[in-house]
Amino acid sequence: MEYIVETKHLTKSFGKEKAVSNLEMKIPKGEIYGFLGPNGAGKTTTIRMLLGLMRPTSGSVQLFGKDMKNNRIEILKNVGSLVENPSYYPHLTAKENLEASRKILNVPKKRIDEVLQQVRLHEVANKKVKGFSLGMKQRLGIAAAMLHQPELLILDEPTNGLDPSGIIEMRQLIQSLPEEYGMTVLISSHLLSEIDQMATRVGVVSKGKMIFQDSIETMRKFAQASIQVKVNDNEAAWRSLLANGQKADLEKESVTLQAEDDEQVAASIRYLVQLGFSIYRVQEEKRSLENIFLEMTKEEQAG
Amino acid sequence: MFSVINSEWYKLRKSKVLFLLLVAPLIGLFIGLANSSIEIEEINAWHEKLVMMNFTYAILFLPLISGVLASVICKYEHQEGGWKQLMALPVTRGKVFLSKYLLLILLMLAMQLMYLVSIYLVGVIEGITDPFPMDIVWKSIFGGWVATLPLIALQLWVSIAFKSFAAPFAINVIFTLPTILVINSERFGPYYPWGQPFLMMNIGGSTGDVFFVPWDQILTVVGSSFLIFFIGGYLYFQKKAI
Ligand SMILES: Nc1ncnc2c1ncn2[C@@H]1O[C@H](COP(=O)(O)OP(=O)(O)O)[C@@H](O)[C@H]1O
Ligand SMILES: [Mg+2]
Repeated sequence: MEYIVETKHLTKSFGKEKAVSNLEMKIPKGEIYGFLGPNGAGKTTTIRMLLGLMRPTSGSVQLFGKDMKNNRIEILKNVGSLVENPSYYPHLTAKENLEASRKILNVPKKRIDEVLQQVRLHEVANKKVKGFSLGMKQRLGIAAAMLHQPELLILDEPTNGLDPSGIIEMRQLIQSLPEEYGMTVLISSHLLSEIDQMATRVGVVSKGKMIFQDSIETMRKFAQASIQVKVNDNEAAWRSLLANGQKADLEKESVTLQAEDDEQVAASIRYLVQLGFSIYRVQEEKRSLENIFLEMTKEEQAG
Repeated sequence: MFSVINSEWYKLRKSKVLFLLLVAPLIGLFIGLANSSIEIEEINAWHEKLVMMNFTYAILFLPLISGVLASVICKYEHQEGGWKQLMALPVTRGKVFLSKYLLLILLMLAMQLMYLVSIYLVGVIEGITDPFPMDIVWKSIFGGWVATLPLIALQLWVSIAFKSFAAPFAINVIFTLPTILVINSERFGPYYPWGQPFLMMNIGGSTGDVFFVPWDQILTVVGSSFLIFFIGGYLYFQKKAI
């Protein structure tokens, strides 16, 4: 498979501490990759290395199949980024900020108005950025990242400081990028809900290590609901189910079915009814992604 | 390369500090006019003006203003993650450093030329009839500029290193003020970076050379300090964590 981003054994140490440790990130073309991890997990450090702002202690970074070490300029022509807090020149207006980058990127002037329109800053285009709210600065940062229509967009916690409606807009904008422009997007966050709503692939990082990396669907499978059944005699029901080949766990006051799909649930219930059990309740218990995420992180910490 | 300088010029232009370039030539003009009463017996009336004007200009204002410009050209990068934004663009650190340096020395050249205009204006206003000593003035203007090249490299280095605006400014003032004393020292005078502009602009040095300072001194002091400061700053910026 062809990866837009591929890191191999990527490691960064600050003194004795490893902020990023043997990280193998793989992002296929056209995906929205959610880079998820708690604060201090090493997301920003990883992104800095992806952009060549920081040299890895060991390991390598490849973007578009080219090694960052020897092709930095060529690679960066196709990358737009927003790293940590929004960066800007306070003495310039929104438009002038973009103009300063545009001169280096060598793109047509009309791109400035286009991106300002995209992030809805066109009405304050001629105002000094100094007076902008954090959300507006964040949006300006995204506009700057999209100025040259890069193939890869790297956004480090882009919804920080946005209000709820701003977050929704941002999400819609980001989700439209792969389809409309064929972009690949890397977006980092410490909020699972955010990634869950945008990403098509997920990488979970904890203490500098990648502890999960797969499609969002696979991640959601972890979160598959289990079915709780409460009957007059839970233990007898549990034995019968097991004897019938249905995976189940006996809880204190119920039996939990590990059903693959709805039909299996229906079959098991029908079976219990036929055996004459009184069924009091059948309810679904969803494991939230937050839980899974916590569990993953915990496992890593224990291990 | 041109696009990077262009972008640097754009950012600096919008920061509204370029009026500073007018300050030193204007002060030079006033000094030139203010001291009109003193009569020194001279071959050429221009010389008297030059001696007076050069003194404050070269010792005080030239190094101070180049220092302020060096700080400003880095200030807005330090403020809100400018370095980060800039270095994530397809541009090398070397080009950024060189662009900032080239822009600074071009601006200082512009200031020298405006100072030249000041000198001329003083003469015109005072009605000096002696022939304008073109060769001497050029030596002074151009020599003074050459002498600022290492100084600006050092100022740029310091400005990149310190996040605060005040620190490089304070350092610059601290080293500028003793210049008057240091240039009178035979031992240290020729080696003091802040003193170089004055030594090079001071007319009445050895007139046989291209500049008012002997060639070997220019080469050794100005040349080697330029190399040290420029390469030092360049390498520092390459390694700086952003
Ligand atoms: N320049 C630095 N010097 C020393 N330690 C750092 C530096 N940058 C980050 N760290 C440390 O590396 C770890 C990861 O930080 P970071 O990448 O910012 O995490 P995240 O972006 O996931 O919140 C943290 O423990 C942080 O303190
Ligand atoms: Mg971070």
